Amino acid sequence: MSELQRILLGPQRPTINLGRVREVALPEGPMAVISAGWQEAEADIDEVYEQVQSPLLDLKLYQRAEQVFSEDPNLHKAYRQRQDRLQELQQLYRMRLRQLMTAARRIRRAKAARDLVEAELQHAVAQLRELDQHHLGRIATVYDEFADALGPNSSGLLADHIAEINTILEDCDSVLITGGNVLVLLNRLQLFDLKAQLAKRHLVAWSAGAMVLSDLIVLYHDRTPLGRRDVEVLGPGMGILHDKIFLPDARKRLLEKDVSRISVLHERFSPADCITLNSGSFLRLYDNIIQTAEQVGYLGESGRVQGLSPG
Amino acid sequence: MNSSLNSLFSKQPPTTTEIDAFIAANEFPLVDGNNITFLYRGGAEQVLLRSWISGLNTSQPLERLKESDLWALTIELPAGSRIEYKLEVIIGDQHSLVLDPLNKITAKDPFGANSVCQGDGYTRPLWTQPDPDARVGTYQHATLPSKAFGDNREVNVYLPARFRRNRRYPLLIVHDGLDYLQFAALGTVLDNLITNLDIPPMIVAMTQSNDRLKEYGADDRHAKFIAEELLPFLGDQYPLLDEPKSRGLMGASFGGVATLHTAWRYPGLFGCLLLQSGSFAFSDLGQHQRGPVFDPVVRFMNQFRQNPGVPAEKIYLSCGIYESLIYENRSLVPLLQRQQIDVRFEEARDAHNWENWRDRLQNGLSWLFPGPVWMVYE
Repeated sequence: MSELQRILLGPQRPTINLGRVREVALPEGPMAVISAGWQEAEADIDEVYEQVQSPLLDLKLYQRAEQVFSEDPNLHKAYRQRQDRLQELQQLYRMRLRQLMTAARRIRRAKAARDLVEAELQHAVAQLRELDQHHLGRIATVYDEFADALGPNSSGLLADHIAEINTILEDCDSVLITGGNVLVLLNRLQLFDLKAQLAKRHLVAWSAGAMVLSDLIVLYHDRTPLGRRDVEVLGPGMGILHDKIFLPDARKRLLEKDVSRISVLHERFSPADCITLNSGSFLRLYDNIIQTAEQVGYLGESGRVQGLSPG
Repeated sequence: MNSSLNSLFSKQPPTTTEIDAFIAANEFPLVDGNNITFLYRGGAEQVLLRSWISGLNTSQPLERLKESDLWALTIELPAGSRIEYKLEVIIGDQHSLVLDPLNKITAKDPFGANSVCQGDGYTRPLWTQPDPDARVGTYQHATLPSKAFGDNREVNVYLPARFRRNRRYPLLIVHDGLDYLQFAALGTVLDNLITNLDIPPMIVAMTQSNDRLKEYGADDRHAKFIAEELLPFLGDQYPLLDEPKSRGLMGASFGGVATLHTAWRYPGLFGCLLLQSGSFAFSDLGQHQRGPVFDPVVRFMNQFRQNPGVPAEKIYLSCGIYESLIYENRSLVPLLQRQQIDVRFEEARDAHNWENWRDRLQNGLSWLFPGPVWMVYE
């Protein structure tokens, strides 16, 4: 295979545009499906089939993980410990993040000479970037602890599942990854060590599926029942698409008119582009280069969501 | 007076047909910005607006409009307000307390029903109404023997849609749970909030007392029942997350007292409390004026205010501004915050009633038990 296609879409409600993969020249043959983000509803892939009209091979990552956890208590215990530590770490990160975000917000609104405000804001953003980097470093440490605790080839059952998945994938040149719970999805992809397998295949993904393909996963929601939450780094993604952070359903989740805040987000994650994927969005990349971008936006330096162009 | 009503009576008393047309064309009470006009049509010697709202007279007379059979009263009500009321119609010696015949909106409570006045800007939240797309939970019923009370106690348990025994769930125990289901649409709210990912799928145990003013009024037997009997029972029956932050206790009015008292008697057991219009009466000096049923409550609250400890890590409180209890609830906030408790307090332009408590559930529950909406990108 020469150029690998990555088709990224937004939420499949209300606009369903998954069927557009039929327009794209993906190799014939079955397509592997990963819908672990749907958790218990993982197997409900009938609608996916209706859209892609191609034989599907369900990798059942969620179900496999449940089986591994129930039959390998040591692995389950270590995994749960890792998740507990990551959760605690995330809470500590949030405490620090809140302070820095509050400071940045107040500085932005400060009634002082513009040059003074700009300089302080720049420094505040630099501190945010530094905190995000620190957080990524700490996450890496927890992952290392987990790997050390398990040791190599610690779970025969897990290895069996990985081998089985790899066998299935031998028949698939393309993999489709649905949306859903981004953390659950990411954890399953990591557990079954799928980075290399995904990297060498054509990929179709939407929402959370797109998020996990990037270097960095960023969580955001400005319209929760309790209002806006601070945009936070969840951790590294699978690292298949570089310098891109995907923000699905931005029209609903992001306060797009908050210009100064969006400008801070742009700065905070630069040089990565923060790309919005709404329902109806269609983004096609060959490897890491954008070929087609329809109804796809990015957070611009100006603080506005701008249309993304190929190239 | 309301402008449209004014124009109806601008020249001479309107005819019956004109009044009929006016009534058919409007919704009542008439809401014109902050001015609310209540209207009654019929023969009477006197018509009174009866409401139980702190700040308003409990009884206000409607005025008969010219020689017509229409009676009206205009009051000022801030935007976003919601109040419950009845009309008292007096004919001779007969005093009838009735729902407003011109107003279709009513609210039920354990004592019957009231008419509801929705002030300018108030709308019933969508998540309190049945959503055909929401996945619906199921209910189980159990009876457990209580040594604390020396009798059997009933509990109704809400299980979220797609409940699975191999998963673990947060638990919320609700005082007056059946009333919450019946009068505050708790079942619908849970279905909607879980479907919308505002809260996680959770198990909710509804308790009910036949003698709530006694048992919920800071009664040690009740605290023992909840902490030492009901909680272990639920732990045996259901897959629960075994950590305080995934364990919540909730109640309104005296149920709020029972919630706070139980958590105070068993600190660290419950991580989250949801207290709505708690009857947190206390006396800094002298005797309280709320009647003997409040005696144990005041004793407890005085003791609590002296030595609050940390009954839970996170506490959500709400109270209506039009309640006499607003002072007691407001004063609890700094007290809890001084204990380093994470407190969220919400005031509403509403009074001591079930729909006020219903309308606060999204904020309270989603703050205490944040759902996966943050992590889910469909």
